[in-house]
Amino acid sequence: MVAEGALAAGCRFFAGYPITPASEIYEVMMRELPARGGLALSAPDEISSLCYCVGASLRGLKAMTATSGPGWALMIETFQYALMTETPVVIALVARLGPSTGGATQGAQGDVWLAEFGTSGGYTVPVFAPSTAAECYELTIHAFNWSERLRTPVLLLSDKEVGMTTEVVDDDALARPTRVDRARIAEGEKPRPYGFNAPGDVPAFAEVGGEAKVTATGSAHDQEGRLRKNSPEVIEVLSHLQQKIEAHAEEMTLARTDLEAGSSYLLVSYGITARAARQATSALRRDGARISFLQPQTLFPIPRRTLDRALAGVKTVLVAEENLTGQYRALLAAHLGGRRIVGINKIGALISPAEIVQAVRNEEAR
Amino acid sequence: MSAYLAPDAQLPYCRGCGHASVVRQLSRAFERLQLPPRSVALTTDIGCVGLADSLFPYLHTVHTTHGRSTAFATGMALADVLFEQGSLKPVVMIGDGGAMIGLLHLVHAAQLNVDVTVLVHNNFLFGMTGGQHSALTPVEFVTATTPTGNYVPPLDLLELLRAAHAGFLARQSATDAGLDALIAEAIAFPGFALVEILELCTAYGTRWNKLTGAKLKEIATLQGYALGKPEASLERPTFREVIRHQQQNSHVPHATRPEVLRQVEGATLASELRLVVAGSAGERVQSAAGLLARAAVAAGLYATQKNDNPVTQGTGFSLSEICLSPRPIEYTGMEQPDVVIVVSADGLKELVANGTLAGTRPETLLVMDVELDVPPANGRLVRLPLRQRATPQRAALAAIAAWQALAPILPPAAWDAALETLPADRRGENITALQAGRELAECQSGPAKPT
Ligand SMILES: Cc1ncc(C[n+]2csc(CCOP(=O)(O)OP(=O)(O)O)c2C)c(N)n1
Ligand code: SF4
Repeated sequence: MVAEGALAAGCRFFAGYPITPASEIYEVMMRELPARGGLALSAPDEISSLCYCVGASLRGLKAMTATSGPGWALMIETFQYALMTETPVVIALVARLGPSTGGATQGAQGDVWLAEFGTSGGYTVPVFAPSTAAECYELTIHAFNWSERLRTPVLLLSDKEVGMTTEVVDDDALARPTRVDRARIAEGEKPRPYGFNAPGDVPAFAEVGGEAKVTATGSAHDQEGRLRKNSPEVIEVLSHLQQKIEAHAEEMTLARTDLEAGSSYLLVSYGITARAARQATSALRRDGARISFLQPQTLFPIPRRTLDRALAGVKTVLVAEENLTGQYRALLAAHLGGRRIVGINKIGALISPAEIVQAVRNEEAR
Repeated sequence: MSAYLAPDAQLPYCRGCGHASVVRQLSRAFERLQLPPRSVALTTDIGCVGLADSLFPYLHTVHTTHGRSTAFATGMALADVLFEQGSLKPVVMIGDGGAMIGLLHLVHAAQLNVDVTVLVHNNFLFGMTGGQHSALTPVEFVTATTPTGNYVPPLDLLELLRAAHAGFLARQSATDAGLDALIAEAIAFPGFALVEILELCTAYGTRWNKLTGAKLKEIATLQGYALGKPEASLERPTFREVIRHQQQNSHVPHATRPEVLRQVEGATLASELRLVVAGSAGERVQSAAGLLARAAVAAGLYATQKNDNPVTQGTGFSLSEICLSPRPIEYTGMEQPDVVIVVSADGLKELVANGTLAGTRPETLLVMDVELDVPPANGRLVRLPLRQRATPQRAALAAIAAWQALAPILPPAAWDAALETLPADRRGENITALQAGRELAECQSGPAKPT
């Protein structure tokens, strides 16, 4: 469904390298993309995969690659290049159990930090996290749309359990976001490769091979793309890379909520574990508990406004995620106004609804 | 100075640096070809070699990362194939350091035969970082990191790329006349072309080694390098031609439509049901489970399927976990299965190892091949001669059919709908397997207690 979403979003170029559990996306794209007028290609490694995609995007095509943790580690230099050169590209990161080669066929949610913080400079990298096949479709389209709109690389973070479980998708109920294309430079307009008026603006795109001259560079540059040492013009551009994300953060963020008035507990979960959390929420409510549930579909930027709304009246926040140390919990903590925060964590197997119910019960008994 | 190189260009290199002459020769090469400036993507690497972008104000310039310039250029060239009027000429400027770290990109670009021209500026060392040696440094050459002389024999790039089926390969020294013509020839070449240019880094190369322009020739001779001529000029289809050919001859696959199941309704399942099928690789365990999931969906249920194998997919166990429910399914864990089907010893071993059998309860139904040892599990046990009567290949589906005969939740029409999704030549064997399972169930008086 990631591949279907990419095709619906207008993806024309894919380069991939085999890795479980992302190989299915690669195989589907190799089969479907040429049939629908695009180009799909096997690269000799993950560095090449992403370089090919960025090159294709510079030429003007929407591009995507898919990988898992080990391949993502190899892509990070090129990812930063895309960020710096304001080149749209989507990376589907289907996580597996790490570190290193880890467990290729085991799910995990241990790449949250690696996805968000692989970049020097502390930039907010947009990360979308689907929990179902239907969400894979919908969020892939959103990932492309925001990548194009903001001229920035975007990650779609799922895991083996989301990516390799076959499930029913109700075609009638499928959300189909309208496709967005990058804003191109007007004919005859003087090219300013990285030009903006307000720092939150997105520079108009000109493709390599077009009439408007392209000056692309991953080195520190001014708005014209000229190499500059550490000058005010460079700092302005570096700040703009973050400001354009922040200026659109509220509009970009998506979340599924199931809020109950008067809840003392807010359960937060994302990706595969959100499924168990939804089930746990229903079970707890059947037993009379008052609990709200929040699933950030955009992990980053953190859906702040929705979170604030969900926090009304809440005393304790529980965050369920399939990693050892609570990667998302650690980042949410700063936004909870000092509320108690509890982690529900586990690796090597799915967190079950029963385990989440138990964690809430333990809190109630405190 | 010419129109390609900015007339007022201040060359940013040290005095006497070979990069300066290459830049001038490159500009002359463009002039010779009279290429429209906007059809060129000058793609530069990291290093002193990568300072050329601003010298060519009319070309598209893409300044990339260390060693990856070829890969970015390849991406542009690949994408250009989709444009009907596409005629982009990416020209890569890369150093010997960049060629070393990015070697695989050169190899793959050569294999693909994309229309990319690579100029390797081989000054035998890393200029920008202070004169360290690279994989192209000659033996005995003194660098910052080979103070007593290099002892690792240099890589012959051209020889290597010849093995990668590169179409155009040449070597020349930066100071020699005719470099511009050679570069022009490389750029005009319709596929992958590479020119290795031997040159001097006056900051480090000549400081530590007795080097002159003539000495460059000596180094080349010592290494058996011929200069000036294309060493290879292989005629083979370019990537653009291959893709065009595929498109014209409908070599591209047809788009697959999403699978649509004929709906028959009639499932009798009130709450979620979790089922594991375990057997051996190659014995159609996962496809049998897939057929069950389809039949369930046809009958109006929701279904999820997760498969598992050992790391080697062709041997050992093969396992499938199925959840069926009248409502959308959230959690897909299998700690407490309702039905466990085991058709081979491999499958049994895995269910013991992964803890599935430990999760069985008195109400769990176990359908097993009669030859298997009775496992340590709770539940009602049904042992059937599945492998013997239905064959090992059909045992999994027969077991599913037997379970469905004993405790039906799906109408027969649901199986018909599921079978319709299979290729016609695969239906017969599945019908046989289903039939065998139903017959086995009939002979069974009822579920036995575990012994
Ligand atoms: C991944 C990475 N590793 C190391 C560097 C540091 N670095 C900058 S330039 C350079 C070498 C350049 O040498 P070469 O490619 O031979 O070009 P020259 O400077 O000689 O023109 C290196 C290693 C880098 N920029 N990126
Ligand atoms: S350091 Fe060497 S390669 Fe770099 S500009 Fe100076 S002479 Fe040229």
